[in-house]
This record gives sequence, C-alpha cells and structure tokens, in this order.
Amino acid sequence: MGQVLVLGLVYGVIYSLFAVGIVLVYRGSGTINFAQGEIGTFGLFVAWWFTTAHHLPWIIGAVAALVMAAALGAGFEWAIVSHMVEANRVSVAVATIGLLAFLVAFEVRFFEGGNIRKMVAPIRGTGWSVFGVVVSPTQILSLLAAGALAAGLALLLKKTDFGLGVLAAAQDPVAVRLVGIPLARVSAFVWGLGAAVSVLGALFIEPTIGVFTPGFASEMFIKGLAAAVVGGLTSLEGAFVGGLLIGFVEVGANRVFDFPGVKMFSILFVMLLVLLVKPDGLMEGFKFRRRALA
Amino acid sequence: MTWLRRIRFPLLLMAGATLAPLLGRAGFLSESKWLYLGVAVTYAAAALSLNLLMGYAGQISLGHFALLGTGALVSGVVTSADRGGLPFMVALPVCAIVGGVVAFVLGLPALRLRGLYLAVITIGFAYVADQTIFKLNYLSHGSAGIHLPRPLVNTFSFSRTSDFMGILCVLLVVIWQVDRNVTRTKLGRAFHGIRIDESVAASFGVDPRRYKLLAFVISGAMAGVAGSMYGHVYMFVNNESFGFEKSLLLVIIVVVGGLGSRAGVIVSAFFYALFGVVLTHISWLHIFRGFDILIGAALLMYTVSRHPGGLAQAFQESRDRERRGTPDEEAEEPALPKLPEMPRPSGLPERPTVEGLSGSVPVLAAHEISVRFGGLQAVNAASLAVPRNKIVGLIGPNGAGKTTMFNAMSGLLKPNAGKVELLGQDVSEMPAHARARLGMGRTFQLIGLAGDLSVTENLLLAQHVVASYGVLSALTQIGPSRSVERELRDRAAEAISALGFERFANTPVKRLSHGQQRIVELGCVLVTAPEVVMLDEPSAGMSPGAAENLAVRLRDMRDDLGRTILLIEHNIPLVLDVCDELYVLSGGEILAHGLPDEVVQRPDVIAAYLGEPAAAAIVEAEAEAEATPVKAKPAPRKRTRAGAAK
Repeated sequence: MGQVLVLGLVYGVIYSLFAVGIVLVYRGSGTINFAQGEIGTFGLFVAWWFTTAHHLPWIIGAVAALVMAAALGAGFEWAIVSHMVEANRVSVAVATIGLLAFLVAFEVRFFEGGNIRKMVAPIRGTGWSVFGVVVSPTQILSLLAAGALAAGLALLLKKTDFGLGVLAAAQDPVAVRLVGIPLARVSAFVWGLGAAVSVLGALFIEPTIGVFTPGFASEMFIKGLAAAVVGGLTSLEGAFVGGLLIGFVEVGANRVFDFPGVKMFSILFVMLLVLLVKPDGLMEGFKFRRRALA
Repeated sequence: MTWLRRIRFPLLLMAGATLAPLLGRAGFLSESKWLYLGVAVTYAAAALSLNLLMGYAGQISLGHFALLGTGALVSGVVTSADRGGLPFMVALPVCAIVGGVVAFVLGLPALRLRGLYLAVITIGFAYVADQTIFKLNYLSHGSAGIHLPRPLVNTFSFSRTSDFMGILCVLLVVIWQVDRNVTRTKLGRAFHGIRIDESVAASFGVDPRRYKLLAFVISGAMAGVAGSMYGHVYMFVNNESFGFEKSLLLVIIVVVGGLGSRAGVIVSAFFYALFGVVLTHISWLHIFRGFDILIGAALLMYTVSRHPGGLAQAFQESRDRERRGTPDEEAEEPALPKLPEMPRPSGLPERPTVEGLSGSVPVLAAHEISVRFGGLQAVNAASLAVPRNKIVGLIGPNGAGKTTMFNAMSGLLKPNAGKVELLGQDVSEMPAHARARLGMGRTFQLIGLAGDLSVTENLLLAQHVVASYGVLSALTQIGPSRSVERELRDRAAEAISALGFERFANTPVKRLSHGQQRIVELGCVLVTAPEVVMLDEPSAGMSPGAAENLAVRLRDMRDDLGRTILLIEHNIPLVLDVCDELYVLSGGEILAHGLPDEVVQRPDVIAAYLGEPAAAAIVEAEAEAEATPVKAKPAPRKRTRAGAAK
C-alpha cells in the first residue's frame, strides 16, 4: 500500500503537470492541443542534443528545451490558431493533430536510428528508500517543481488581471476584450505555457523510465488528458487531483492485475467510468456545490 | 475541383473490378505492385469511414486504425482454418457488427457531452488496443501474427492479388453507396445540422446525442469492413500492424482530401498509400522518405486554418467567385409573402393536438421558471401562458432574460426550478428535440439555419421529425426511405414556391441577405405545422417597411393558419400591432401582464425600459397634458391617402 502511494505520487505529479497544460489551453482557447505531449518529446530531443551529444550541463539543455517548446507552442498559436477565431473548436483540435503528426514524422525522419537515447537526470544520486521504494532525487525535484508551478500558477491566475483574463477567455471572450486584456496575448501565452509545461513533465519523468523514442511523451500526455478529463477539463485543482488519482489507479492496477498494457487499460476504464457517472468531472462538481452553498 | 466531381467513382471502381483480374493474368504489374494497389483500396475504404465521422458529423476519432485492427483480427479469427474456418463473406458482416459495437461502447460515454471527448476516448482506445487487445494471444498470436486466408469460391482461390482486387473494388463501391445514401437522407442532414449547431438541429427535432453516436457506429462498422479487407490483402497481421501513427495518417488523408468530399478523400487515400511505394522503388528519391507525412501534416494545418472546406473546395470557391461575383448580400429585401396552409404532414409522430385541448388549457405554459448562471439569477420564478390561437408578446429591456426564458421553455437549457407544459402535457424533463417532435417550433436571435446547406436542404432538415423511416432503410435505400424522401422534397418545393424562393432553391443559405434568411427560417419552422411557434426577435435587422409586412404575416399565421405564437420583440410598434397579450420581463421577473396597450402605459414598465427619472418625467408630462385644456393640444394631422400622395 505504501509503495502504491509513493509510486502513484511520483507518476501522478507528472500527469498533473501535463493535465495543467491541457486545462490551461482549454480555458484559454476552448480546445485541446493534441500535439502538446509530442512537443515534450521534441524538447527531450533538444535537451539530449545539448547535454548528451555536446556534454553541456543539464540546466542548459533544459532551458533550451523549455524555450523551444514555448516558442513552438506560441508560434503554432500565431501561425494557425489565431486564424481560426471564428472556427469551430473541433477544427482547431484537428489542426493540433496535424502538428502532432508533423512532429512525430519529423522526429522519425531526422532523429531516429542509431543510438538509443537516454536523457541524463538533473540530479545524480541513489536516492532514499520510502516504504521500500527508492525515490530518486529527480523524483523529489519533480514533486517540488510541481508544487512551485502550482503555487506560481495560482498566484498568476487568481491574483492578476491577466490571469483572470486567461481563466475567462474561453467562457466569455468579449468580456475579456472589453476589460482591456488582449485576447491574442492570452491565447499565445496559454499555448506557449502549455507546451513548456509538457517539456518540464517529460524532463522529469524520462530518467525514471529510461529510454525515449518518438511518441514518448505523447503517452504521458494521454494519461495527463485522462487526468484533466477526470478533473473536469476546466479546473486547475481538478487537474492536480485527477493526475494523482490516475497515478494511484495506474500503479494500483499494475500491482493487482497482470496482463500487458494494464496501466493504460485501467486509465481508460477509469476515464470512461467518470464520464458515465459524473460527466462534468470530479472537481467541477465540488466547485459547483461550493458556489451553490455560498 | 470540378474534374473530381465529374469522375464517376463507382463506375471507375466497377471497371477496376472487372479489369484487374484480366490485367493481372495478362502479366500487367507484378504481384507486389498489385498488393500495393489492394492496400490503397483498403485505405480508401478506411478514409471514407473516417470522413463520415469527421466530415459529416464533425467528430474526431484518433483511434480509427485501431478500429480497423479490430476488424482485421476478428476477420482472422472467423476465417482462419484452425479457428473459425468460415468464408470471407461471412466474416465481413461480423466485422461490421463488431466495429459498430466497439464504436457504440466508446461513443456512448464520450458523445453524451459536447466537445472533444470522442477524440480523447478514441486516443485512449488506440493505446489500449495497441498495448492490450491486439496482444491477446487468441486474437493475434502476439508478434508472431496470424494468417488470413484469401476467399475461396468452390475451388477458385483468390490467391492472386489482382483477382482479389475485384472483390476489394466491389466492396469499396458498396461502402461508397452506403455513404452516398447517408448524405442523401435525413441521416446526412442530421449529421450536418449537428456539426453546424447542435441547438439548431435540436430545434428541428434532431437528437444530437443519438445522431452523433449513430455516425460513429456507422463509421465503426465501415472501419470494421475496411479492416477485414486490409487483413485479407496482406494475408498477415500481428500486434504491430495498427500503430497510432496510422490513425494520424488517416486524419491527414481525410482533411487534405477535403472533409466531407468522398471523391477527394479517395484520391488522397490512393496518393498516401502509393507514395511510399514510389519512393522505395526509385532510389534517388529516397531522401524524401517521410516527406509525404511532413507535407501532408503541414497541408492539413494550412487547410484547416485557412480553407476549412478542404483544398478542393477552396479551389472551387475561387472559381465560383470569378464566375458569379459576390454573394447576394445587396439584393433587395423581399417582402415576406403570405405563407400557405401546410397540412399536418402524414409522418408526424402521434401527439396531442390543439384541437383536442379543452378550452381553458394554454397551448404552452411556463410555471415559476428559475434559471441561475453561477451567481446570476437570470430568470426568477417567471410564469407565462400562451392561449390557443393567440399571439403573445414577451418584451423587456436587454438582459431581462427573455432568450433564457425561451431556451428554458424550448428545452435547450434546464431550469433550476419550474415546469413547462406543452398542450397540457408536462414536458419539463424532455430535451429540446423531443419538444420539437411534440409540435414546438422556434427561431433563433441569430438565424437558426445551416449556413452552407441550400434552401432546399434546410427545408428538408427542418422536416426531420416527419422523416419517419429507419436507419437501415436509409442506408440501403430499401423500404420507406425513398418514398418518404420524395414526399419531403415535394413539400420543400411547395414551401419554396410559396415563399417565392425558386431562384434560390439550390443557393447556400449563407449567400442570402439577412432578411431572406429570416424568411427561410420562418418557412423551416412552419413546414412541419407546429402547434406553437416561438419567434425570437423576428424583426431584428429588418427595415420598418419589412417589419410592417411581418406584422401582416404574423396575423395571417394566427388567423388563416390557426397557429399559436409566442414572440420576443424589441420593436414596440410591431408588438402593439399584432399581440393579443403582452408579458414584460425585467430583471428575470415578470413585471407586467395584460393587454398590450394597457401594459405599455404602466409607469413601472416605462421605468424598466427607460430608467426611473425618465419614466417620472414622462408620467409628469402626460399628467400635465391631461390637465391643460384640449384646445392647447396641437390638432392631430390627418393623414389621408390623398395627402400622402401629395
């Protein structure tokens, strides 16, 4: 049980990171960026090029990857999404599928072959044993980073006008524009930030998993997507709760059942269950009740 | 592209089906090249299947190749000698059913909600299929794979791919025909309506959930068949044959080929299936490996953001503009003609009618409706009743909650409290489409039509409640669907000639002027002879002359057609002119109810519209006017016909 909790937490926090990026884009643009995960993989290739191929410190590779991802996310918004203000939100999602296909094809064409790629860990060391599970320094760092990110986002979104604009953008674009917040900037911000958060998640989880190939972070992204959906797709708190839940479910199911692909299977199962029983997600329900009481 | 439309694909494919075996026997193309062509045909089938879902119903499946994989593996189980040992022709319907069932199971939770949930669920399914289902030893023997035999008829085995091409082409023609039957019947129109606007579709009686699910089930069944074709072309599949990247490729094929364009999608599928082959056979082209996907993905992003109708349509539109000039926006606003008596259509579901209603029961009534949006009380315990054969007005300042009240009454949103009764029946728990079936018609503040469908097609969509034939009849064109469709078309043509819109019968609605669209919208609402008609600001954007004409037609509708009308309006003269009763909504509450002339005189109503001080000033001025002697009043100018003529 203790092991499930520790491992679930370690994985769940990463899924939360992906889920937060998804929720941000959903709140800001009303759609899902299906390429978000693959931007994370792309970031890994960039970071790998700096750290392993050119022996630079981890932090340089990480910063380069984050900058690249933010630029890619915001650039995609500028080149494609900003032209689709009037379009159906499904069409925007289709455009992100194009980006996903592009990134996968690009990685396969230009990065694959030859050596097995492994990213170095930000901090080396053997780690500590908790409930019989060895927790590495990287995993501790990812917990801290997720906490810091959550706090920073909460401050930004709840305490600044710009942040409130982000939260309200998809719900009432006109109102956001009327109070003087440029929607274009809100949109570019969420797409860039969403992509960067993906890279962060990919950088932290990669050392735990080992090798990465094209499509690596898309799998994490799908678990993050499940987390976001379970959390209600619009709630940042829900993204964290959903991420942890998905983490525990995955690790728990892996312990109880034994068949190939048990992790993804259990996640899909939980997601379908939540959609059937509580279509608005777990957290939206909480929020609604709180509002109804007030 | 016009040349694309001129190609008659079914004929071409039938010719392919006959010629392929002959050419193959004559030694034309090697066996391996026939194999590539066979695979291209299965890609075309798969692309048609995804096109139905994405292009028509506007839903995304990111796991479509996983559905194909399911079909292929099931086909393997059914046909392979060591297990089912049944013929290929038996496997096909089984695969269709399995594909449809899988789609149903995935779609049921995902399509209850608006938005991108189907994409999310199917992407999850793609991974689960890849990691779990396709690894089941029983299905695929893991990476060892399974052998799928070619069909065997008596002693003739279709072991040559060129022979098997004959069967594949015929199957593709069948899928093409089913797809065409979808677009020709209420199914295609309902899918289209949902894609454009679920609320509008629901107001015409289309159940959005049911039809979204139906689109995915039909698409899944087609994918199952395509998967079986795929498996039997290759004669071998294993757990790695259906990777996620192939599902992505399918999305590229469909979007680049043109969402909703059968021919474009098939051409695109052939291109993508054969491009890689060309590369592997011409060595110096090898540096372009992978470029098909890269260019396709880039094209996809470009197309979706700049030309949502696909490349073919973008090309077509630019040609159209050259030929015809700009849309009919500046055309003179036509007067609303007298709307004809539309007899109650024959196919209408059994429902209580106005005639069966006892005298005092209103046709439509709302009791104590309350709607809350978060902290905002939009409507607060508002009640209103619309008596039979009357025009009832609902007025109020902007933001009073009029449209919210409409939405609550027509079922588009669920009120937090209150009850709605239609024809004496409690319909509070019914969704919008069910209320439409019971005889509730409504228009929208912004025109409630499918803009890129023609006037005729909109009138057909509007008759959805009357199109009483089953899904199977629609798909096969056997049974009642043909005759019912003919009736619907006759009725639509009748309505069009009554409206005087013959010229625009095949014009997309979005090319008409605003006033013309309003008229088409009214025609669509009336074509099924609803018991009660709810009009949300019909005079918005109309010139004063057109509004007067509207008043005449509204009275026609009441007096000659015997309709009952609930009317939201800002045009007070129009309201005073036509309404028998008036309700005033202010701040979400019913402020006043009574005869129109009396209600608009009330100080509190004036205050709600103009604010307290202005209202006080008006009341004061009127009191003064009454106090002063009559002769001080300027004599009202007599406007005679002769005077106006001068």
